[in-house]
Order: sequence, then C-alpha cells, then structure tokens
Amino acid sequence: MADFFIEALGLVSSPAVLALIVIGVLFGIIGGSIPGFTVTMAILVVFPFTFAMDPVSGVSLMVGVFVGGYSGGIVSGVMLGIPGTPSSITTVYDGYPMAQRGESGRALGIGVAASFIGTLISVAVLVFFGPLIASFSMNFRPWEITALIVFALTLVAGLSNGALLKGLLAAALGLLITTVGYDRNSNLRFDFGLPALGSGFEILPVMIGIFAFSQLMGNLEKLRDEQDEVKGVDTNVSIPYRRILKDMAGQKLNTLRSSLIGSLVGALPGTGGTVANFISYDQAKKFSRQPETFGTGTPSGIVASEASNSAVAGGAFVPTLALGIPGDLPMAIMMGVLILHGITPGPLMFEQNPVLVGAIYASLLIGAVIMVLCQLLLVRWFAKISLIPQEILVPVVLMLCAIGSYALNNNLFDIWVLFVFGVIGYLLWKAEVPLTPLILGVVLGNNLERQLFRALELNESWMTFLTRPLSALFLALAVASVIFSLYQDRKIQRNRLKAQRSDAGAD
Amino acid sequence: MLTLTKDRTLALALLLIISVMWVESGNIRPPTSWQPYGSALFPRILLVVIGLLSLLILARSLLSGAPARTQPRRSFTEWLAHNRTVFSLFALFGLYAALLPVLGYIVATLAFLIGSLGLLLGIDSRRKWFINLAVSCTLVPLVYAIFRFGLNVWLP
Repeated sequence: MADFFIEALGLVSSPAVLALIVIGVLFGIIGGSIPGFTVTMAILVVFPFTFAMDPVSGVSLMVGVFVGGYSGGIVSGVMLGIPGTPSSITTVYDGYPMAQRGESGRALGIGVAASFIGTLISVAVLVFFGPLIASFSMNFRPWEITALIVFALTLVAGLSNGALLKGLLAAALGLLITTVGYDRNSNLRFDFGLPALGSGFEILPVMIGIFAFSQLMGNLEKLRDEQDEVKGVDTNVSIPYRRILKDMAGQKLNTLRSSLIGSLVGALPGTGGTVANFISYDQAKKFSRQPETFGTGTPSGIVASEASNSAVAGGAFVPTLALGIPGDLPMAIMMGVLILHGITPGPLMFEQNPVLVGAIYASLLIGAVIMVLCQLLLVRWFAKISLIPQEILVPVVLMLCAIGSYALNNNLFDIWVLFVFGVIGYLLWKAEVPLTPLILGVVLGNNLERQLFRALELNESWMTFLTRPLSALFLALAVASVIFSLYQDRKIQRNRLKAQRSDAGAD
Repeated sequence: MLTLTKDRTLALALLLIISVMWVESGNIRPPTSWQPYGSALFPRILLVVIGLLSLLILARSLLSGAPARTQPRRSFTEWLAHNRTVFSLFALFGLYAALLPVLGYIVATLAFLIGSLGLLLGIDSRRKWFINLAVSCTLVPLVYAIFRFGLNVWLP
C-alpha cells in the first residue's frame, strides 16, 4: 500500500491536481460558510465539473470540497451567529460569544486549527481501519452484501427524527426509482411507452433534483416566513497566532477525543457531522473542569465542535470505500462520483484501484493543509461571501444544477428528470418525508437487486439469508434498528403529548 | 368530513401511484427457465413494501385524528398567493428546460437568471436591476467558458 500511496501522492502533487484541490477547498469553504447552502449542496454543484476529468483529478476536487465544506461552517457561525452547515451548530455556542467580545480572529483561528487536526486524525483512522474492514469484507458473499445494504437502509431510515415509517418509505421509493429502464437481464421495466425511460434515470439528476430543489425552495420559504435580515457585520478579522497556539496547547485531550468521536460517528451510517458535533460538545463539557464556561465563548467548545465535524470527512470514507455503503448524503454523492468514473466502491477497490484509494488519502491530507492556509489568509473574504443573500444564490444554483445535469450525457432529457424529481423532492419534503434514505436507496438500488438475485441464483432458498451467520447478524441488526427506532418514535410522541398537555394546563 | 392532512395525502397519493405501477409491472417480461425469478419480482416486492407502509401511515393518521390547526385555514387562492414565489420559480425552471433546446444555452440561461433574480430580488430599484444584470451577465458566459473550453462540454 505504501508504494501505491507514494504513487498517488505523486499524482495528487502535480500542479493541475493541486490547483483542483485548492479550487475544491475554496468552494467548499464558501459553500459551508453560506447559511442554508450546506456541504452537500457544494458537492452537488461541483460534481458535474468532474465529468470530463480523469478519476484522480475528479476525486481530488471532490475531496477538496469535502474538507473545505466541513470547515466552512465556522465562518458564518462565528461572524453571524448562524451555523453555515448543520454540523457547525455547536460552534456558534462559543464562537459567536467570543466574536461578540471582539475576539472573532481568535475564535476562527481556534476553529480552523481544530478542524485541521480533526481532519488529520480522521485520515489516520481511515488509513488504519479502511484496509482492515475491506480485507474482512472480502469474505462477504451476495447474502451478506444484501443483508448489509438492508441494514444500512433501515439504520438511516430509523435515524430520521421520529419518522421511521416515512424513512422506510423513502428508502423503498429510492430503490423503486432504480428499477425504471432495462434491468440486468435486458428486460424493460416501467417505461410507460416512453423511449426516453428505457435507459432509466441517471443518479445525478435524480439526486440533485430531490435534494437541491427541496433545500433551495425550503430556504426561500424560511426567508418568507422569518424575514430576518443580517445586519452590519464587521468582517475585519485579524488572527492572533500566538494566542491560538497557546489555546490549542491546552486542548490536546479535547482535540483528540473530539476527533476520534467525529471519525467514529462519521463511519456509522446515517449519522454525519451534526450528530458528531453534539456528542463531542457534550463530552467536552462533561470532561471539562469548568463546564459552566461552555456557551459563554470558551475555546474548549469551539475545539470540540470543529475537530469533530471535520473528522467526519475521513471517518465517513471508511464504510464507503471498504464496504461500498455510503454513511451519509455527501458520501452517497461521492459514491456517485466514483461510479460515474467507472469505479465501484467496496472491498475490491483496495485491490483493483489502490492508487485511487491512495489519492483519496493524499487529497484529504493536502486538502487539510490548503484549508488551513485558505481559512487563515482569506477568512475576511469568506465572511463577506457568507453574506450573499439566498435571493441571488437560489437561481444561480438552480442554473448550475441544470447545466450539470445536461453535461452528464449532453442530454436535455436529464434536465427534465432533474425538474420532475425536483418537484417530487419538494412535495416529499413538504410531507415531512426524510430525503436521505431516498437518496441512499437510489445509490444502492442496483447493487441490492444484483446481489439479491445473485444470492438466489446460487441458492434458491431464501432461508440461506438466515442460516449464514454474518448475513443473519446484519438482518438481526436491521430488525433491532427498526425496533429501537419504534421505541424512540413512541418516546418522542409521548414527550410531545406531555408538552401539549402542560401547555394546555398553563393556558 | 375527513380532513386531508399531509400524511393522508401522502399515503393516498402513493397508493394510487403504486396501483398504476403494479398494473404496469404486468407488462414486464415474465420469468423464463433461465430467469426463474423474472424481472418483475424485485419491483413488486418494493411496491408491496411501499403499499404496506402507506397503509400504516394512513391508519396511524386516521387513528390519531387530524392535528390541531395552529393557523387559520387558507382558501386555495390564498394558499397559491402565499406560495407564489416557490411556484413561480418552479414554473420558470420548467420554462427554462423547455426553451433551452430552442433558444440555446446563452439566451435561455440569461432569460432564466434575469427572470428568477427579478422574481426573488424584486425589480423596484435601480440597484436591484444592477445586481440582477451584473450576476446574470457575468455568470452565463463564465459557466459557458468553463464547460466549453475548460471541460470540452458542448452546451446546447
């Protein structure tokens, strides 16, 4: 692996690829720093630009967006008191009060340093555990892979904030979308007499349509309902480097703990940066000698938040690369990028494309360094850019989505696919259906069907799924995750009823 | 009278859609001796799962009753007016998709951007017009140049 890593490092260090990583990091930071834009949206917008690139260049650009995006939320969090991404919510708790005291440079510097260390630790986790899990999963046969995909989908559906039924429904709808067009036996399905549906739906316009439209229209509705305006913000920031070094020296344990929490949470399907963010902030507070300072502008709070959300980037790559199962939405899109370039993520990737795996490691490392440099040198500009109003952003992103979908195959039909799935995504969002399980279903649908029927062709008994230990374990975990989610749903509903009753009593 | 809540609308709409798809699945080539499971089995499993989940959502919604309204009920025209920005943007995007092959990238995209920025920013001041035209006239050729010359992708 070391040879491949050196070869990959050579490829990634070429001026062209380095420039792409810089562009990716810059765009990621900008995307992450604009409230309501999110890392996922930044990745979706950049995705089409990778079509014409070789896999290493395309993947490096995307990794750059990841690294920049996960660290970008700090800018608006500290300067505006609005988290740029959901994964930087707890950054606001301490970053904003610190900025209000006139120490915005210190808050940003601490956050950027913690992000950098978090990314590095998560890369170490990825380098160590990725090949280990991949070599273990090499023993997986179709039964185990089928059961694992079912487990991943139920887990993600179950984590949909008290909406298990809708989460499962979304996952099943995502899988159903992949059945349109010619199947593995060259039989046509659900074409409704339209020749354009024969080749099925491309993943990209479906994903963009479902996610981007609902997100952008949701932002517009929020704008309409809240009518809150960001008032004059001082974007003159100077970074006190010595003070930050001193601050970070006192945060070694907190940084390590938060980074490991981020890496671990990132590796679990359906969790992502937001969950990591809250867990590590909570843990940092519990372990702190001065828990009462949390929320008032303490460096510990910023470190816990930023180290964990940036560590998610490396951690999330573990299941995607080692098992071919993306853990969250950005990773599902990343998997789409790899599939588009003819690479199937999974255990075989470590054998068949070791250079590309090495390129991902190298891009993460180089991206982290570039992220620190960009954040420290250009933070004033990012703060200004984060003030771009949604009214300008939404049409521009919609236009980029349309052109990106067209550029995939130079096919205008894909823009209609984008539009139709945009309407569907918006309606589902209005009906409070979680969209992450749906997108995961779209990404995993073809593989699930292929593996299921390969298993049945090898052994026609469905009971084999229960007699093979690992397959049975994954299915048992899937059932357990559904039962646990049902329990959680009931608890949430009970609490809601209790709150309603106490409100009525108070009235 | 039965109130049409979000959950009930979702469940009923999905039940209708899967019924249509179930009928359409009858057109899929049936199993053969070398394809014993056929191509319709997997989608039919999914249709059954979606149907069951929709029924569960419908049943749960009917059993728990319609949630109490926090806002007064809007008439259809009021509802349309309340959501006019979002609906207009969808309509503009649909128009853009339709006009793209007719007018070509530059003209259609310029029209879409100016139209949608005008819709969201407003057109009641010179400053807004300036921002609108500056964003549209900069981005359209820039994106064209990146795709055409940087990525070798021909835009329509």
